[in-house]
Amino acid sequence: MSGPATAPDRRRDEPRDYFLPDFCEARAVFAIVLIATLVGFVLSLARQPDEDGFWFDLARTTAFLLWAGLLCAAVLCRSRRWLAAKSLRAGIAWALALLVGTVGLLSAAVFQLGHYWLARMGAMGSLLPASQWLFVLPNMLITAIVGGLALRYFYVTQQWRRSVELEARARIRALQARIRPHFLFNSMNTIASLTRSNPAQAEAAIEDLSDLFRVNLSDSRTQFTLEEEIELARTYQRIEQLRLGGRLQVRWDVAGLPPLCVVPSLLLQPLLENAIGHGIEPLPEGGIVDVRGRLEDDQVLLEVSNPKPVSSAPSPRRGHRIALDNIRQRLELVFPGRSSVAVEDTGDRYTVRLRFPRFEPGPGSAWPGLTDTMTLHS
Amino acid sequence: MQEPLNPTAGSDKLRALIVDDEAPARERLRRMLEDLGDVLVVGEAANGIEALQRCAELDADLVLLDVRMPGMDGIEAARHLRLLDDPPAVIFTTAYDEYALAAFESEAVGYLLKPVRREKLERAVRHAARIAGPQLARLAEQSQLGRRRTQISARLGEQLRLVPVDDVLYFSAGQKYVTVRHRGGRELIDESLRALEQEFAPDFIRIHRNSLVARRYVRAVERSDEGQLLVRFTAGDEALQVSRRHAAEALRQLRTGQ
Repeated sequence: MSGPATAPDRRRDEPRDYFLPDFCEARAVFAIVLIATLVGFVLSLARQPDEDGFWFDLARTTAFLLWAGLLCAAVLCRSRRWLAAKSLRAGIAWALALLVGTVGLLSAAVFQLGHYWLARMGAMGSLLPASQWLFVLPNMLITAIVGGLALRYFYVTQQWRRSVELEARARIRALQARIRPHFLFNSMNTIASLTRSNPAQAEAAIEDLSDLFRVNLSDSRTQFTLEEEIELARTYQRIEQLRLGGRLQVRWDVAGLPPLCVVPSLLLQPLLENAIGHGIEPLPEGGIVDVRGRLEDDQVLLEVSNPKPVSSAPSPRRGHRIALDNIRQRLELVFPGRSSVAVEDTGDRYTVRLRFPRFEPGPGSAWPGLTDTMTLHS
Repeated sequence: MQEPLNPTAGSDKLRALIVDDEAPARERLRRMLEDLGDVLVVGEAANGIEALQRCAELDADLVLLDVRMPGMDGIEAARHLRLLDDPPAVIFTTAYDEYALAAFESEAVGYLLKPVRREKLERAVRHAARIAGPQLARLAEQSQLGRRRTQISARLGEQLRLVPVDDVLYFSAGQKYVTVRHRGGRELIDESLRALEQEFAPDFIRIHRNSLVARRYVRAVERSDEGQLLVRFTAGDEALQVSRRHAAEALRQLRTGQ
C-alpha cells in the first residue's frame, strides 16, 4: 500500500485520473525493472545463441533495456503534469514522441560510448553494428511500436477503471435514493399520529428522520466512521421502533468495534433495514434482530441476523439481494480483494456477515486501495 | 388491543373496526373516526386473521383495512370477510403501493392513503360500500396482493372458520358444496373446484372431475384389485379415486413435482 500519510503535498496537485500512471511510484519503477528483465530474457532466448554467448547477450540486452525503461519512466514522470494539461490526442502524441526521442538519444549515447570503449579495448566485433543509424533507428522504431502499445494499454485500463468507478458511484446513489417510499410514508403517518398524543416523541422522530434523509440524499459523503455508521443505524431503529413497537427488538453487541475505523457510508443501516423488512415485519409477533461487531486479526467483522419467517408464498427477496450486491461492490472498491460479504441461512435465521480491513486514517489522508478518486470532495 | 368502548351504546352509529399492524396508525384513525361524530370505533385488530375474528364478534358495519400486514394481508382478509352473514363495508388504507392503487381505482373500491386526511376519510366513510366477490378477486389479481389466499374460510354459523391452505389434504366437490378435508377435520365451502384449482396450482392437482389433492400430502398412488388408481395420503386413511381421464396428467404432475 502506498502510505498516503507519508506522501505529502506533491501528490495533491498530481492529475488524478490521467490515463498515464504515475511512473515515480515505487510500484511502477519495480514493474519496469521486472518487465525489462523479462523482455531481455525473451530477446536473448529468441536469438538462439550458443552456450557461451547467451549470458553475455542477456546481460547487455537487459542492461540496455533497464536503462531505456527507467529513463522513459523518469521522462514520463517529469512530464506527466505537462502532458495531462494537453488534449488527449496531443498528450498521446507528445508522450510517444518523448519516448522515441529518449530512446533515440540513449541509443546514440550508448553507441558512441560503446565505440569509444570498444576501440580502447581493441575488441571491435559483433557487439554493435557498424553504423550508428543501424543501431539507433531500429531502437527508435521498436520504442514507437512498444510505446504505442503500452500507451494504448494504459488508456484502455484507465477507461475501464473509470467506468467501474462511475458505475459504483451510480449504484451508491441508486441505493441512497432507494430509501423505500413505504418507509417514508409510514414514518410520516406515525409522526402525524404522535403530534397529538405525544408531541415530544413526534419532535424527536422528525429529528431522526431528518438525520437519516440528510445522509441518504447526500452524495458527497461516501465514508463514515463506524461510530457514525452505528449511530445512523440506531436512528433508523428508533423510527421503526415507534411504528413496530414491541414487535421489534434489536440486540446491539458492538462494543468491540474500533469507533474511528472508516467504512463506506450506509453499510449497516441497509442491513438493518433488510433485517426488519424481511425478518420482522412479516411476523405478526415480531422478533429479535442481532447486530454484532468485533475485531478479529485486525479485521472488522459486522454481522446482522434476523428471524426468517416461514411462508408458503415465495417472498420477494430481490430488494434484499440488490442491497447486498451493492454493499459487496462498495466494499470491494475500497478494499480490493480484502473484504467479504457472506450470507448464512439456517432455515430459521438469516445472517449477513461483513468482513473488511480495519482502516483508521491519519488526518487528511485518503482511502486505501483504488480509491483516491473515490474520496471525492468531502 | 383496546376493547370496544361500548358496543351497545350508539346503535344508530356506524360500527367501525380498525385493522392495522402499526399501533400509531390505529391510534390516529381511531381519533379521526371518533371526531367524525357518527362513527363508533368498536375495536382494533393488528392483522388479517385477528380482523376476521373480531369482525364477526363485534358485528362491525365498516372495516378499515391496512393493505400490507403480516400474517394475512388486507386484500385476503377482505375476501374472507365477504363470506360473513352480513358482510361489512371495507375501506383499504395504505402508505404507498402504486400497483395496488391502480387496481383499487379500476375496481372503484374505497381506499385511503396514509397519513389519512380528515376530508378524505369522511368522504370514504360516507360512500363506504360492500365489495362484491368478483370485484375483490380481480383486485387481488391486479394488485398482486392476496392473489393466492393463505387460508380457506368456511362459515360456521355467525363465525368464520379459517383453515390454512398448507393444512389441506384435498378438496372434493359434492352436490352443492366443496368439502375441504384438512389435518384437523372437514369443512364445507361455497366455492368452485375450478377456481380453487386455478388459485392453488401447482400445489394442488386435479385427479378427478370432482377432486383436487394437495401434492405435499400424497403418500402413494396404488392400483386397487379392480384396477382402479387410488391416491393415498400421509394423513388420514381414506383414498381418492383417480379418474381415467385425469390419470395420465395427474401422474405426470405428481412424478415431476416431487
